[in-house]
Amino acid sequence: MKRNPLTIGIGVLLIIIFALWLCVFQVRQSEVVVVTTFGKVTRSLTEPGPYLKAPWPIQSDHHLDQRVQNFEDKFTEGLTQDGFGLLTSVYVGWRVTDPKTFFPKFAGSAKPMLEAERGLELLLGHAKTAVTSGHPLGAFISPADGGNQFVEIEKQILDAIRAELKANNYGLDVDFLGFKRLALPESVTQNVFERMTSERQLLINRSQFEGEAEALKIRSEADRKAAEQLSAADAKAREIRGKGEAEAAKSLSVFQQNPELANFIFRLEALENSLKDRSTLIFDQSTPPFDLFRGASTNLLKK
Amino acid sequence: MNDHPHPDPEARKPGAENPVDPGATALAEALRSSFVIVKAVMVVLLVVFLGSGFFKVGPDERAIILRLGKPVGAGEAALLGPGLHWSWPYPIDEYRKVSISGIQRITSSVGWYATTPEAELAGTELMPGPSLNPSVDGYALTADGNIIHTRATLNYRIADPITFVFNFVNASNAVQNALDNALHFAATRSLVDDVLTRDIIGFGELVKRRTTELVAKQNLGIVVEQCKVQSIPPRQLRDAFANVLKAEIARSKALNEARSHENQVTNKAGADAESRVNLAVSERVRVVSDVKSRAEVFSTLLPEYNANPSLFVQRRLTESLGRVMTNVQDKIFLTEGENGRTKELRLLLNRELPKAKTEEPR
Repeated sequence: MKRNPLTIGIGVLLIIIFALWLCVFQVRQSEVVVVTTFGKVTRSLTEPGPYLKAPWPIQSDHHLDQRVQNFEDKFTEGLTQDGFGLLTSVYVGWRVTDPKTFFPKFAGSAKPMLEAERGLELLLGHAKTAVTSGHPLGAFISPADGGNQFVEIEKQILDAIRAELKANNYGLDVDFLGFKRLALPESVTQNVFERMTSERQLLINRSQFEGEAEALKIRSEADRKAAEQLSAADAKAREIRGKGEAEAAKSLSVFQQNPELANFIFRLEALENSLKDRSTLIFDQSTPPFDLFRGASTNLLKK
Repeated sequence: MNDHPHPDPEARKPGAENPVDPGATALAEALRSSFVIVKAVMVVLLVVFLGSGFFKVGPDERAIILRLGKPVGAGEAALLGPGLHWSWPYPIDEYRKVSISGIQRITSSVGWYATTPEAELAGTELMPGPSLNPSVDGYALTADGNIIHTRATLNYRIADPITFVFNFVNASNAVQNALDNALHFAATRSLVDDVLTRDIIGFGELVKRRTTELVAKQNLGIVVEQCKVQSIPPRQLRDAFANVLKAEIARSKALNEARSHENQVTNKAGADAESRVNLAVSERVRVVSDVKSRAEVFSTLLPEYNANPSLFVQRRLTESLGRVMTNVQDKIFLTEGENGRTKELRLLLNRELPKAKTEEPR
């Protein structure tokens, strides 16, 4: 059979592709690749792009995700400095920082990331217990200006875990850490409810008593002021009347000129005023002007 | 050709070229044709291979092509917009898609008691027990040692898709963690009454501020748009908390009533006082003018009197009596009895209701 140059070409191409497939690998963006030579870590590459290596089983490439991983641990109970049980759960953002140390430590398992997280969880538990015991409960829950150390405590746990990771050469680092949940043991919550109920009752009572007292104060104050106002008005009225009498008295001096005449005129006025309406008078002929009836004109000139 | 015996190979003429074996010819032809098919299949495979590089980017998405691991283009230019795109197929190129659809929404996962949205709407939630099991029910602790249920809903926008996708395995989880942390952060430094009634808005602002801080510090590549927070007292204590509000309302009511009483009494007193003073003023004026006018009359009468006192007196008396007689209602004139005998007169008294007078005419 004649040798077809196309066949040769395709054959060569296939061989080249095969060779490439054995010896070239990619480092993807946000990935780190660890190259092992006969099982021992020799290179770690973070720059994305294509690279060469010897084919398996001389060298093999292992890909590790270098992005920030999210991990949340479970509730652990710790004792605060003043003996209160506190349940805490934190979340961390961690990532592989030193592949050369990370890989040999965790590559044994099928899922190195999960394995790393298991180790991390253990360390977190220790760190949380240690930091919690160094603070009273009030450091966790109190007003902002009353000794709340929420942020400081988070930082302390972060520092503690970072130190642990470094000391144990895990090859990973924690970028951020924060509390995900704070809780109390279940039996304690019941006590808290009882305390809260009595607190509410106190507020209710206070509202009632204060309200009643204040309302009473307002009312009695108002009544008192009103009475004051009226008595002041009465005093003023008396004063005015008194002034009036005094003024009138000035005019009375006129009557001193002839008191009997004054008296007579007043009595006449009184008589007229008292008999103004609905009176019955019985009189006889001796009353002037009806004394005219008694005699005729002979009495005319009678005194 | 196979049904008759082959001619004896030795019967062939010596020296002549051997003709190609018809069987081999057939085989060679078969091989050639199958080789053509193989070639055709290979071409087809190649086309399919290259064609698998097409991909579509939706309107809410962007895509980045990684060529041998490295992103093609830098920054914003690397993001491919919606439409049909082509890249070399794996293993040369890989593409990653990023969703940037407007507003993302996430709800906190801690702080609320165990329930489902359906149960909440239908009102068929389970009755709470006397305590809270932390692994089942969520809650938050407040600065004064109270327990509340609180939850937040966060609306955010992916501002930096590359960071969001390439720096974090699950950035939306990180956002939720930040939100959960913010709830506890805010609750542990706030008083229970501020959270539930007095400063609800302030509490929500605190949660939003903390979330924004964390998101920026952790470089998540998002922008917080809106944060809504809802807080309630534990269901076991709902009545106790409600009663406090009721007591406050009753107290306000009592104070209002007291104040309106105050208003009423004050106004009335003011009016009364004024009228009493006014009365006194008018009386004074009357008294003064009364006496003054009398004095004037007296002054005019005095000379008259002095001229002839008895005449004056008589005249005045008669005039007065005349006026009195005119005004009096009943006049009964008795003549003198004959021989000086006294006359008897019978009167009908009480012919009308007496008024202010206490003396009856006898």
